[in-house]
Amino acid sequence: MIFKTIVKEDLKKLFNVHLKDVECVGPKQVATSNDGKAVYQFLPFESFDEINLNHEKTEYSAKTYFLPFRETLSTFNFKNGDWDQEIKYRKQQRVLVGLHPCDINALVKLDKVFAKDLFPSPYYRSRRENTFVIGIDCDKPCTDGFCASVGADVVTHGFDLFLRDIGDKYFVKVGSDRGLNVLNKISPTDISPEERKSYRKKTKEFLAGFKNTIRVENLPNTLDIEFESPVWKKWGDKCLSCGSCAMVCPTCYCYGVSEQISMDFKKSEKVKQLYSCNLLDFAMVAGAHNFRPARETRLKYRYYHQHRGFVESFGEPKCVGCNRCGRACLANINPVDVISDLQMEL
Amino acid sequence: MNAILHAYEVTKEEDMVEPLDYNRRSRMKNFDKCFKAEITNIIRLTEMEKLFQLRMINEDDKNRFTFLPGQFVMLELPGYGEVPISISCSPSIKSIIELCIRKAGKVTEALHKAKRGAVVGIRGPFGTHFPMEKMKKNNVLLIAGGLGLAPLRAPMTYVIENRADFKDVHIFYGAKDPTQLLFDYQYEQWHRIDDINLQIIVEKPDELWTGPVGLITKLLDDIAIDPDKTYAIVCGPPVMFKFVCNRLKDMGVPMQRMFVSLERRMHCGMGKCCRCNIGSTYTCLDGPVFDYWSVMNLKEAI
Amino acid sequence: MEYLGIKPNKPKVAVFDFSGCEGCELQLVNKEDTLIDFLSAIDLRGWREASSVINDDYDIALIEGSITRDDEIKRLEKIRSHAKVLVALGSCACFGGVNQMKNVFDLKKANQEVYGDKPKETAKVKAVKDVVKVDLEIPGCPISKAEVESIIRHLAWGMPFSYPVYPVCVECKQRFTTCMFEKGLMCLGPITMAGCNAPCPAGGLGCWGCRGPAKDPNYESFFAIARERGFSTAEVNERLNFFGGFQEVNAK
Repeated sequence: MIFKTIVKEDLKKLFNVHLKDVECVGPKQVATSNDGKAVYQFLPFESFDEINLNHEKTEYSAKTYFLPFRETLSTFNFKNGDWDQEIKYRKQQRVLVGLHPCDINALVKLDKVFAKDLFPSPYYRSRRENTFVIGIDCDKPCTDGFCASVGADVVTHGFDLFLRDIGDKYFVKVGSDRGLNVLNKISPTDISPEERKSYRKKTKEFLAGFKNTIRVENLPNTLDIEFESPVWKKWGDKCLSCGSCAMVCPTCYCYGVSEQISMDFKKSEKVKQLYSCNLLDFAMVAGAHNFRPARETRLKYRYYHQHRGFVESFGEPKCVGCNRCGRACLANINPVDVISDLQMEL
Repeated sequence: MNAILHAYEVTKEEDMVEPLDYNRRSRMKNFDKCFKAEITNIIRLTEMEKLFQLRMINEDDKNRFTFLPGQFVMLELPGYGEVPISISCSPSIKSIIELCIRKAGKVTEALHKAKRGAVVGIRGPFGTHFPMEKMKKNNVLLIAGGLGLAPLRAPMTYVIENRADFKDVHIFYGAKDPTQLLFDYQYEQWHRIDDINLQIIVEKPDELWTGPVGLITKLLDDIAIDPDKTYAIVCGPPVMFKFVCNRLKDMGVPMQRMFVSLERRMHCGMGKCCRCNIGSTYTCLDGPVFDYWSVMNLKEAI
Repeated sequence: MEYLGIKPNKPKVAVFDFSGCEGCELQLVNKEDTLIDFLSAIDLRGWREASSVINDDYDIALIEGSITRDDEIKRLEKIRSHAKVLVALGSCACFGGVNQMKNVFDLKKANQEVYGDKPKETAKVKAVKDVVKVDLEIPGCPISKAEVESIIRHLAWGMPFSYPVYPVCVECKQRFTTCMFEKGLMCLGPITMAGCNAPCPAGGLGCWGCRGPAKDPNYESFFAIARERGFSTAEVNERLNFFGGFQEVNAK
């Protein structure tokens, strides 16, 4: 990996001068919560001043720039009782800035499913390859995150540039050839021994600051053994089956496909909509049989996929420990509590 | 377009121009592209089920579309939607694909109204298949309950076409009542020409029914099998294959030599949408054909 | 156009208004980009708001408004006898809507309160389904035109139609709305059927449940959440009773 440092002011210049023709997306404040905290979302910005790289964590994850909530997969054009199929991929370039380690690790996990697994998705690949990702390390662990427990607190790849605030400068990890190209526009300097020290010290402080943890050891097996555990009923009874957890989750990717014919009957769009396994009809088949009619079985399934299924397929949990699901859940169902409950079942 | 960010054109990917072949599983161009197929014949099987014979419209597609017994396709009716359907015919006849479809949901309802000549889309084939090669030189039990005869018909035609490679072949088929029996026009052929022990049982007989009455497991009472030399394919609803497989297990057939085909909701067929997951297993990638041992180990499968 | 060997028919449609604000009917003419296609997909047999055609020969009757007088009952029954398919349009037709709030008061008092010493004939407010058989319901205050269009596509061409089973939360999230509860506001979104595309929370107003309950809502958990967040039982019940979609559902 190539390491560089840049003067903070230069990052602003990079956006306001060199990237001003490209769609840039970063953490913007959109609201203030009831308890006075700023609420951030990844949104397009014109000027660098509109975003705040010191944001704690965005309300929604950055996944929607790769897996939008709604995406047209194909358009069928009808003509004389026949039809043809038209497929388009999004290829406009975009810069995404301000992603934390959880966000980037989430992208790396999505890459495994959509770019590297059987049947790579051109819809995803086209978006991913045309998005320039600039990440930034967290100064300190966020209040409720447990990324360290699931190995998502540090990043090694999956970005073009990755920053850490080391005082008056940013320490930059360069993750790609185009990353170096872009960085060279603002004359980066090679790192000095002091800067390296300062970077390592900051990183060490960050890693030592975690208070929130879950015990993931043997979790895939525990999930298997505790399939009938009353813990599921306890949390299932609280679940609103509203799907909010999956919507804000940076790695939940399940979806449904439906078709919408135009009112003039000339074309039909096949639309993919991100869905949630907590929604009632997720596993409903034709003829209305539902394989998961109970709330607790749907809730349980989500934990299964996060912490067992994904481990079986890719050797790591799907969860990145950001606790966005826990924050979004009105019933306060969150992985730390659910998994602790399950681990306590003895 | 900003010059310092390299633009990327997914359609210029090398594998985007490769020929369509879903069984190679790694070609991006295949992702959502349908083969176009024409409905050449519709055979009414019962009140609820019809057999659709399809033919690829594009000449090249006829050679590209190859499948193995047990695999399924995503059948696309533009405007209505897409449904997973298991292929119900022999893989050796390349020009024709047969799909046996029950009127069960909105898409299949529309399909049942369609006429000959209508053009539909096909993606696939997807999923695992029955290990026909491994089964050669063995006795084969082909057991179906209800609509299970549809997916069973693919390995069945394979066995019939390669009859000399297999030892004793039994077909056991159970239905609710005689009006629900599928492919009744073929029984004579299976039974007589192909030296197959065909047994059909119904739960509720009508006045014309002369065959056996009861549950499908009853047909297993009268046969002697050599468990070390027997493979079984069991297709039907979970409650049916559970009873049948447990009975075969008691008769000594190893669980890994019994194969079932599972049905789930699917929206992609390619291990992405998660709709077909059983526990954490993708029915579309790791199935729909599973050996019984694997099914027993799948949470929420039965 | 004939497609899949299926010939789409052009259903004869008539629109009727009962006690309501006619806002739903206004919605029908609202989506200008598809209005012409919408009108050419159907054979319009009567719609006071958009056309002067009046005809008793129709297949589909779209009913707007709730039923509040005896003569309305007779009129509705007549429409039912003509129509092959009867669709209740909007929260008033589906549940009684805002109008049904008067049902908890003494009718005479209510009459006097509104009309003073010139009382009008009025009865307890009924939803359309309380009077005649309803084939399809499109709830909402007002209705979403997109949903009407898909119902027409369903009836004319047999295209699949289904309501979302999930609650409004999904649609809020999918348009990046910050949760109303997060902002300290009351919202029925978690128990209300989606399909409206969540315009109220996006505009800063918590959901009032105009579309009625989602499938299998978790009332108990929802009431507990509302309580924990400091909303009184009265406040929750006021919302639940507002449009009439949550009949007999009450927080305790």
